[in-house]
Amino acid sequence: MRKRFHFSARKGLMLILFLACCVAGSQLRADELTVFAAASLTDSLREIASAYEQEHGTKISFNLAASSFLARQIDEGAPADIFLSADEAKMDALEQRGRIINDTRQTLLGNSLVIVTARDSALSIHSPDDLLRPEVKQLALADPKAVPAGIYSRLYFEKIGIWNQIAPKVIPTANVRATLAAVESGNVEAGMVYSTDAGISKQVKVAYEVPPADSPKIRYPVAVIKDSEHLESAKQFLTYLRSGKASAIFRHYGFVVLPPAKPHEP
Amino acid sequence: MADATTNQSVKLILKNVSLRLADFFLEADLEIHSRVTAIFGPSGAGKTSLLDLIAGLRHPGSALIQLGERVLTDTETRTFVPARFRRIGYVPQDLALFPHLSVKQNLLYGHKAEADTNSIFSYDHVVKVLEIQSHTDRRVQNLSGGEKQRVALARALLSSPRILLLDEPLASLDTGLKSRIIPYLARVRDEFQIAMLYVTHDWPEVRSLCSEVLMMERGRVVRRGHPEELSPNF
Amino acid sequence: MNPEAWQILGFTAWVSALSTLVILPFGLTVAWLLARFQWPGKSIVETLVSVPLVMPPVATGLILLKLFGRRGPIGGLLHDSLNLDIVFTWRGVLIALCVMSFPLLVRSARVAFEQVNPRFEQIARTLGASNPRVFCTITLPLARNGILGGMLLAFARALGEFGATIMIAGNIPGKTSTLSLAIFQSVQLGEDSHAYRLLALSVALAFAAVWGSEWLMRRRTNP
Repeated sequence: MRKRFHFSARKGLMLILFLACCVAGSQLRADELTVFAAASLTDSLREIASAYEQEHGTKISFNLAASSFLARQIDEGAPADIFLSADEAKMDALEQRGRIINDTRQTLLGNSLVIVTARDSALSIHSPDDLLRPEVKQLALADPKAVPAGIYSRLYFEKIGIWNQIAPKVIPTANVRATLAAVESGNVEAGMVYSTDAGISKQVKVAYEVPPADSPKIRYPVAVIKDSEHLESAKQFLTYLRSGKASAIFRHYGFVVLPPAKPHEP
Repeated sequence: MADATTNQSVKLILKNVSLRLADFFLEADLEIHSRVTAIFGPSGAGKTSLLDLIAGLRHPGSALIQLGERVLTDTETRTFVPARFRRIGYVPQDLALFPHLSVKQNLLYGHKAEADTNSIFSYDHVVKVLEIQSHTDRRVQNLSGGEKQRVALARALLSSPRILLLDEPLASLDTGLKSRIIPYLARVRDEFQIAMLYVTHDWPEVRSLCSEVLMMERGRVVRRGHPEELSPNF
Repeated sequence: MNPEAWQILGFTAWVSALSTLVILPFGLTVAWLLARFQWPGKSIVETLVSVPLVMPPVATGLILLKLFGRRGPIGGLLHDSLNLDIVFTWRGVLIALCVMSFPLLVRSARVAFEQVNPRFEQIARTLGASNPRVFCTITLPLARNGILGGMLLAFARALGEFGATIMIAGNIPGKTSTLSLAIFQSVQLGEDSHAYRLLALSVALAFAAVWGSEWLMRRRTNP
């Protein structure tokens, strides 16, 4: 009996110490923001965040994934401070459910679509119709049912009337970066990603740029999450995203920086 | 190959046998020609291990084991005849009747059809000698101790062995049952005329069945002779 | 349930059952070797067999992706010589399921073999049986319940496999979409009621498989 008491007392002590460290830890890092952002923003946001950290000291951590995935997590109460989505629909859904602070919402960026192939691919693809050829067996898209990049791609193919023929070839991936990886690996013949994604990869080449007239409007809205515990910090960072410095970084990666408009304007 | 008329006791040669056991070495250097030889000794003396070596179920450190003209194990020439070819019938201490097979399936497991023609090892003959006709369609689990004993014996005999190894066959039976089984063993000895190596630690069994005794202690044969000579401080 | 859900259920059950059958010969052999013999390198093999149990499934999936992708050592060979694709096809799903459920089969089968009294095998040999005959007529039947339990466990594991599958085969509707992948996607799309239906199905299947497996493992054939 005494032995058992000893043992559980030690365990209890260790548990308390552990919890104390956690609490202390969170107290120490009061200046921290969690940003949930679309996967296509990975490189640009990281650069912007490190510049922000140097200037303001606030540490920013990211959760980068498909916007649909992130929206779902936020809906379930994930501890995000800011959400940067790759389409308006995901943000609309959160707004309808009261998850965001409506007057912080603004549309930040635009983008365009491209068809990419592996850099060493022997296929010559110069137009979307080339995708219909039998040599193109598999086309990677971010899940066309859920992920913005895939939805935009599908809307584009529907607009030019070849979606039904493309659909059987589609390999849906978890997000646009996974699409890029699939093309890089050579496991699929081609994929559709944002021009900004094609820009950061040395292992793919752009086979076709979708002209703006044919492309759906690609819009990246941003907003502060209502349940955020760092509201002031979050709003500050949001403002920073509009700054000249941040805009330059976005442009450097190929994004279109949209002029500020009244909130909630499509 | 087994044939009633010519199958006399076969000579079993054990030379330079050495096997490492838990506490000591099993060593043997002898020849056995008797009809029924008892291996007598306390438990843990290495008796079962000796049977395992003869049957080819274990590899010795060194040994020459020869049955009749046939060399079964010879560590010098690296000869080792696998157990399945040794024509040795083995009735282990726990009988090891296959629980998932019926009695008849057990009996026939090692039996070859050729033995049924004109041989003492034919199915009908063996079953008759051991009086197990009424049990052949039953399941092994439903047999009594004595019945299991006889089935195990029959199974070994039905494989037409040249020598029969019995490991404490009566150990788990009460005295009354023992005295009823011993006649069956005597019958096997007389009807099948094959050599038997009989491990036991029960002296009355030795006296009623065996023509020679090897006394084993801590892995070695310390005495051998006729049961009457070696009698009674046991 | 709509036809799509039936297709997913059917595909999941079929490819899981196939994976269990595929790993059976090799799995039983390995289990047998581990149970009965000592040999150099045995502990390495034991560890290797258990690795997919412990590694994160996505990590295992990544390894498989690299091996079987068009540019990988195995996948490349198959693609170039036979024009056969593994990744992003049902074959990829099959391989993922085989790898992830293999350790469960081997561990259960090994225990089952170890529980077979070696005396039975020895006596069978003295009765003249060859090693294959001993294995088929004595060892396997006596280990049968444990092996069946292991197969059920492997099947259940395959049914629920997600991480490795999504890496090597993706979630292609109608082609590689399994029950777990479909649940994941339903949740992403906000189709909660559909997800819950699939979830209930998964739970029921898994429960039945594990329960059956436990029951079989307890019912050892009389030793």
